[in-house]
Amino acid sequence: MAGLELLSDQGYRVDGRRAGELRKIQARMGVFAQADGSAYIEQGNTKALAVVYGPHEIRGSRARALPDRALVNCQYSSATFSTGERKRRPHGDRKSCEMGLQLRQTFEAAILTQLHPRSQIDIYVQADGGTYAACVNAATLAVLDAGIPMRDFVCACSAGFVDGTALADLSHVEEAAGGPQLALALLPASGQIALLEMDARLHEDHLERVLEAAAQAARDVHTLLDRVVRQHVREASILLGD
Amino acid sequence: MLQKREKVLLLRTFQGRTLRIVREHYLRPCVPCHSPLCPQPAACSHDGKLLSSDVTHYVIPDWKVVQDYLEILEFPELKGIIFMQTACQAVQHQRGRRQYNKLRNLLKDARHDCILFANEFQQCCYLPRERGESMEKWQTRSIYNAAVWYYHHCQDRMPIVMVTEDEEAIQQYGSETEGVFVITFKNYLDNFWPDLKAAHELCDSILQSRRERENESQESHGKEYPEHLPLEVLEAGIKSGRYIQGILNVNKHRAQIEAFVRLQGASSKDSDLVSDILIHGMKARNRSIHGDVVVVELLPKNEWKGRTVALCENDCDDKASGESPSEPMPTGRVVGILQKNWRDYVVTFPSKEEVQSQGKNAQKILVTPWDYRIPKIRISTQQAETLQDFRVVVRIDSWESTSVYPNGHFVRVLGRIGDLEGEIATILVENSISVIPFSEAQMCEMPVNTPESPWKVSPEEEQKRKDLRKSHLVFSIDPKGCEDVDDTLSVRTLNNGNLELGVHIADVTHFVAPNSYIDIEARTRATTYYLADRRYDMLPSVLSADLCSLLGGVDRYAVSIMWELDKASYEIKKVWSNKTLADSLDNANDPHDPIVNRLLRSMATQAMSNALYFSTGSCAEEEFHHYGLALDKYTHFTSPIRRYSDIVVHRLLMAAISKDKKMEIKGNLFSNKDLEELCRHINNRNQAAQHSQKQSTELFQCMYFKDKDPATEERCISDGVIYSIRTNGVLLFIPRFGIKGAAYLKNKDGLVISCGPDSCSEWKPGSLQRFQNKITSTTTDGESVTFHLFDHVTVRISIQASRCHSDTIRLEIISNKPYKIPNTELIHQSSPLLKSELVKEVTKSVEEAQLAQEVKVNIIQEEYQEYRQTKGRSLYTLLEEIRDLALLDVSNNYGI
Repeated sequence: MAGLELLSDQGYRVDGRRAGELRKIQARMGVFAQADGSAYIEQGNTKALAVVYGPHEIRGSRARALPDRALVNCQYSSATFSTGERKRRPHGDRKSCEMGLQLRQTFEAAILTQLHPRSQIDIYVQADGGTYAACVNAATLAVLDAGIPMRDFVCACSAGFVDGTALADLSHVEEAAGGPQLALALLPASGQIALLEMDARLHEDHLERVLEAAAQAARDVHTLLDRVVRQHVREASILLGD
Repeated sequence: MLQKREKVLLLRTFQGRTLRIVREHYLRPCVPCHSPLCPQPAACSHDGKLLSSDVTHYVIPDWKVVQDYLEILEFPELKGIIFMQTACQAVQHQRGRRQYNKLRNLLKDARHDCILFANEFQQCCYLPRERGESMEKWQTRSIYNAAVWYYHHCQDRMPIVMVTEDEEAIQQYGSETEGVFVITFKNYLDNFWPDLKAAHELCDSILQSRRERENESQESHGKEYPEHLPLEVLEAGIKSGRYIQGILNVNKHRAQIEAFVRLQGASSKDSDLVSDILIHGMKARNRSIHGDVVVVELLPKNEWKGRTVALCENDCDDKASGESPSEPMPTGRVVGILQKNWRDYVVTFPSKEEVQSQGKNAQKILVTPWDYRIPKIRISTQQAETLQDFRVVVRIDSWESTSVYPNGHFVRVLGRIGDLEGEIATILVENSISVIPFSEAQMCEMPVNTPESPWKVSPEEEQKRKDLRKSHLVFSIDPKGCEDVDDTLSVRTLNNGNLELGVHIADVTHFVAPNSYIDIEARTRATTYYLADRRYDMLPSVLSADLCSLLGGVDRYAVSIMWELDKASYEIKKVWSNKTLADSLDNANDPHDPIVNRLLRSMATQAMSNALYFSTGSCAEEEFHHYGLALDKYTHFTSPIRRYSDIVVHRLLMAAISKDKKMEIKGNLFSNKDLEELCRHINNRNQAAQHSQKQSTELFQCMYFKDKDPATEERCISDGVIYSIRTNGVLLFIPRFGIKGAAYLKNKDGLVISCGPDSCSEWKPGSLQRFQNKITSTTTDGESVTFHLFDHVTVRISIQASRCHSDTIRLEIISNKPYKIPNTELIHQSSPLLKSELVKEVTKSVEEAQLAQEVKVNIIQEEYQEYRQTKGRSLYTLLEEIRDLALLDVSNNYGI
């Protein structure tokens, strides 16, 4: 059997998308009542749930409190049933720690932490499939739902590179094929990059194109998320109005 | 606008558990339909190929038809073919990469009227597979559904024929929709293409070979070969170093016994093997064919064998046993084939007597390939008797482990055995050279230059370009009458006393736009093929012999490079980086014998490997060098008319100096990956060009000597020089005809050569003794004769005729003294002339034989050869000589 053809000569990907097209995104805000903010997002078959508590007083060791800004605490975990084979994944394994750290960096860049000195914001994300992009997008919505002031949306998207073409928003099949993969978190209004990660080799000449594909996809994600937020606010205001 | 669907796949893991995988599947309303009848061309956003509008119907092959009859669908006569994505994927998954790539190339080929319709991504065409529905049924159903949609999409204006091999489908769908017909492939050919005989023949032969295969798999008697290991095991084995990957190279002179695996890429780095791996015998070769990428397992050291160094002929494969082989070398056996490099093979059917000896099973016939390195192929055909005297093209279908020989099917006839045109066609097919005339679409892109409307320099170009017509005296260094002049020179003294040297090269890229039809064709051909008596141009003659050719007395576009040389530095420039090489060649000479000098010179450069093109992006800068010329950086640039690589270099240069300020230029340049691919293709084509040139020269040499009686004819006896010594013979060079070949000192009966006092040779019982640079033959009665390296001897040239293969020249030493002709020197001087005369004479005899056929003698070609043979000390001749030497037979590295 021949190897999988990630991008056909006609420009279709394995799942029928073209190079720059996103997977289907569906999102909802305020899914939990007890949390300060929460959101659920589906990007294709990747599903992520984000919950935000705070800002509140530092819990646990008070020594962790920062004098000038809020502490952002992120935790990531993946569901046991979320991957091809059911497998129990312990808390705090290397992968989820790394993901937590990346989320923290992203949101420290986006949340106006200096407004809440000596306090703590907790973001808990649980994802199915576990891609960074879905987590960030879910967490953004959750933070917005919690009413925590941010500089901007943080929109994330991945991009890959196959046969000289940059592919936006990789699906699981494309990730598994093992090409270079880049994750980008963008503040769309200013165009600032909150986080950029790539751990494969890619020629410098191609980087710009892949980056542009990821950025464009992130801006597309922004329009979608923006629509979700407006919808949510409209619904909320109708409820309040009654 | 996209619709998301979920596709559930059930896969079986290696442990045998079933895995349920959910994959996303996106559908879209608009998929390009590539039809000129499309009602909304804007929505369908056609890019690339469109089906032609002058067809009576569209044909949609079923997945099974695409898998089995792709060769017939490749016929350019068949038009309006729509390949459904479902069918393409069936080919990809079930037939392997080779056939899939063939299909992809077909779809890309602008000359072929076929398109791909991505039916599985179209929201109305996609049908999810139902529970319990077999894969095959679902594929047929999808394709039919897409065919119906396509018919309605074109507003029922074009009838559609779906061809399938599935009888049930014909029953079920046959009359379901008006305008969409479902018939079998055979039926389709009979009804729509009754006159296309070649397609019918091919179809029959494919059907028959498939039937044979089915029968055989039912029989499945004792296994002849071990099974190949599965791909995962091979890959794991290569990674762990247990197996070794390489390309199989069969020894032409001992095709039954010896083959070598040349290590490839990574595997040669980590293993400490330095040499190639010997594969001894057909069993160990395990159904791999010359050129395949194979995986080899090394045998334990005590089973290692040595290669044979003795000379031997192909027809007597059992006699090598008597010889003592050289010291053992790594030996292995093939455990799997990673990539089959099967191509079209030229074969000969056995003669009548042989057919009878092959037994009762007359339907299956063993045919002998022209190339010694390919095993016999089993063909099932009823036309064996009619095809007996012809050279025929066949393709290999399969090689089961239960079968001694591979199965194949007949494709087409090339020509009669021994007929000049037939033999040349054989050489072309064997080197995979396709020289169909340029098509109309390609010629339409060409500028016109006829007496009615002569081509003129356009005023815009005249402004953009620097005009050298008045200021410089430009001259060509090609011989008089040469048609394709692609480089010229100019030199003049500037006002400040410096010299200005200019090289002017035909501006082919001006006429050949990137990715135009003609560009694609030239890329496929890659080079102009020069055979002994003719040439096949890379570009149409309106370019190669006219508008691009820098002829005298007419205005032409050129790419020029100028150097300003200081009076003093001109001297320095003379010290060329090639000097080291030239020196060493000049020192190793024998002042008394010009022929030995020529031989030495050629052997010194033969030892070097051929230069190859490569993409500079894919190698480190330290690896750039040209060994033969001892230069750090070297590329071809001066012959864009006959080398595609030069066109590429021209384009790169033009982009670099951005002479053309057009923006699209940048998009037309190749990426590193494409360039690498292209370089591989060009190298491969160059090798084919060299082989075909060599083989056609040999063909003419053989035809020249064919009708001569070696005993009486004067010219069959000539002077020869020994240039290599083997255990049972010597290799000779005959300067008069430029022939190289082997002569035996020990014949098949074990008798050795002896030379009496009158220096005439005869065969007597005795023994041979080989030293480093001489070989002594001692007879039982005490006479002995010694042959030294570079001795002159007298040889008789005769022809060993062969039915299935090309004829070969046989050399026989008839005296150990040089051939006595008073003015030997004179003959050497005129030898190149003799060579072209040889071509002329053969062609003439062919002409006489077939008066009806007009064969044109290509005078230019002769002069071209003559030109390359000129002797001189100039750098240019040295370069040309080295290029000439690139003609050496690469496959010859082993036996002789």
